Amino acid sequence: MGRYLERANFMCRLLRSQADALVDRPIREIHFGWRRIYTAIDRQPLGGILHLHPMDDYNLVDAYFLADELTFERSNPESLLSCFENGRENARQMRHCISDEMWTSLNTEYLRIQNLEMPDIWHSSPSTFYSRVSAAIDMFSGVATATMYRDEGWHFWRFGQFIERLQFACSLLLAQQRLQKSALDYDESDWGSLLRVFHALDVYERRYSIEIDPKLALNLLVSDRQLPESLRRTVGRAGQELASIGDGPNQQSSDAGQRLAGRLEALIRFDWEDRDDDEAFLMQVRSYSWQLHHLVSSTYFDYAAEDIPQFLSR
Amino acid sequence: MDFANYQLEASIYDEMFNTDGSPRQHCRELYKTLFELTDTDLLEMQERVTRSFYQEGITFIVYGDEAATERIIPIDSVPRLVPQAEWRHIESGLDQRLRALNRFLEDVYNDAKIIADGVIPTDVVRGCPQYRIEMRGLSAPHGAWVSICGTDLIRTNDGYAVLEDNLRVPSGVSYMIETRKVIKANFRNAYRGSQVLDVEHYGRLLHQTLTELAPSGVTDPTIALLTPGVYNSAFYEHMFLAREIGAELVEGRDLLVNDGFVFMRTTTGLRRVDVIYRRVDDDFLDPIVFRPDSLLGVPGLLHAYRLGNVALVNAPGTGVADDKSVYSFVPDMIRYYLSEEPILANVDTRLCRRPEDLEYTLDNLEHLVVKQVGGSGGYGMLIGPHATKEERDEFAAEIRADPANYISQPVLALSRAPCLIDDRFEPRHVDLRPFVLRGSKTRMVPGGFCRIALKEGSLVVNSSQGGGAKDIWVLGD
Repeated sequence: MGRYLERANFMCRLLRSQADALVDRPIREIHFGWRRIYTAIDRQPLGGILHLHPMDDYNLVDAYFLADELTFERSNPESLLSCFENGRENARQMRHCISDEMWTSLNTEYLRIQNLEMPDIWHSSPSTFYSRVSAAIDMFSGVATATMYRDEGWHFWRFGQFIERLQFACSLLLAQQRLQKSALDYDESDWGSLLRVFHALDVYERRYSIEIDPKLALNLLVSDRQLPESLRRTVGRAGQELASIGDGPNQQSSDAGQRLAGRLEALIRFDWEDRDDDEAFLMQVRSYSWQLHHLVSSTYFDYAAEDIPQFLSR
Repeated sequence: MDFANYQLEASIYDEMFNTDGSPRQHCRELYKTLFELTDTDLLEMQERVTRSFYQEGITFIVYGDEAATERIIPIDSVPRLVPQAEWRHIESGLDQRLRALNRFLEDVYNDAKIIADGVIPTDVVRGCPQYRIEMRGLSAPHGAWVSICGTDLIRTNDGYAVLEDNLRVPSGVSYMIETRKVIKANFRNAYRGSQVLDVEHYGRLLHQTLTELAPSGVTDPTIALLTPGVYNSAFYEHMFLAREIGAELVEGRDLLVNDGFVFMRTTTGLRRVDVIYRRVDDDFLDPIVFRPDSLLGVPGLLHAYRLGNVALVNAPGTGVADDKSVYSFVPDMIRYYLSEEPILANVDTRLCRRPEDLEYTLDNLEHLVVKQVGGSGGYGMLIGPHATKEERDEFAAEIRADPANYISQPVLALSRAPCLIDDRFEPRHVDLRPFVLRGSKTRMVPGGFCRIALKEGSLVVNSSQGGGAKDIWVLGD
């Protein structure tokens, strides 16, 4: 549930950025934005490879279909609706573990968006639609914070949310780095839109300048201690949630999970400053986060009963 | 909104009106409320009720060829009222019936005296597919083989009668409670004014019942509700009940049996389970004993049950007592085991396994309802007067091919109650499923799941066939 909704929220913000860009930004920047999304989610658009057309109209038509595929296309597991639906389905399956208010908050938004189609949002204000869905997901998190009992269900939900944030953020930053390297006419506005997706543009401007330096922007998104969605803060929160969950059935596996979370946090806190291989670093963080995800699953959920000392001692 | 076009028929009991069109004594308060509401008020209320069910996600899932569709049971906002004297009659009748059915189960899986004494034929019991030979020689705690029962009652001008006993995994209780919550919020004044008796403590009664069934020596049992899984159409109810009783909601893969005890996987390790409220059919409970291909059950579960280390509620094998052939012998069971006369009548039932009943059934097919003995959900049945000649001929051939698989009953004029259909009140046939709990004693909440045949003239109330539901208000004295 936490993972799907986190991804849906990222998708909302990316698509809102694209919808805003369509109003007044150059075609090149819009094109960069689409490629960044598809690279981050590791997919090709349904229509094949993205092309930058010299004429505006083609790009705008493309934008409609791309936005549709990323918003409402149910066969695309990364689409906003697919992620939202999967999150809601997870919530349905574990309704006995979440509060009534959480369910109602999520389900009400689901009922609103489930039958919408691209024309319903495209001709009025797609930005408003994406903002509203994003706000609904944020509200769901707020309702959860206010109402959910702080048992292991809470900590697992939060852990999933942070792991997803970490992985998606890494993928997005990697996409940005790779596209930036290959782009002939790279522009700082590409970083501006990315900072906005991470709710970091205002902070960046206050702290550094209104001119965006890619190195500083990346540094902020990776290692800032106070930015809610920086890699450093996210990995720290994931580690805290894991520690709160406590030991699983098998002490060795639990300890291995804690060690891996600590290693990941140390990597970002202490290694980042001295590394000059950004891409390799981000891939390492992403790889560790996947390992952590699998380790937690096997420790707490998918364990074999025969592996538990308690079982053997009976 | 008035009842100007509301049609009454003398041959059909109406739950709200006397035959002269005046509201029944106990319905006057509600009648006045309905009468004073404008059309808009009522339609808005109906809309709120429906929306509330969707928003709360009180749904069941229908799996089609391509996609799953989430649906609600259509809820009619006009409650059905039952005066307390009538309820006491129902309550005592159901208590009597469940006591007799439990005695029957204890008997047929042990000494089988009822068969030896010729009260019920051997083949009716042992030929029933739901008779589980694996349960022979076993006893249930407090003699409660069936601890959760949903009995379908109908009402005619002659009074209440039992249509069938659901003794395996009866469903609908979540709708009873959720419907009550929504309806009382919409009829606040009428609800308070009518002194409606509460049903929302069902979870507490269920918990007390399950606790009493725990293995000997266990005073604070761990209770788990075993669901077939999230894709089961009744999953909402499983989740709802698990919450109501503070039980763990588990699937078969979450449980394992070791050394004759049942354990549940948790994130901190294995935890012993003492009582399992199972919503999985017998066939799928334990692949070692029943269907070997079952992925829903728990290998070794019946072994743990036999050792007395876990309670299964309801016990496996209870289906033999709600088979439609066995049903016709329930009044005899009451006389045999309890030495009492049945308080609630049965519907006159003919068993096609008997040559004279077969002949009668085939000769009168256009006047009868014919059902498969193991059928449910309104499937595998023929309503003679509503069927075409071709349909009756086809069904007759099926009956002749396997007579023991069919019973017949007269077509009964189920009572009707006012329902809001489109923008006016129309009468629709209804039934009533109260839920009876049995541990050391019988427990019931005053109410039940009232099903409606929404299609005009239809007698089929099953939700799987387009039926709806409404709240039942049992009134205080």
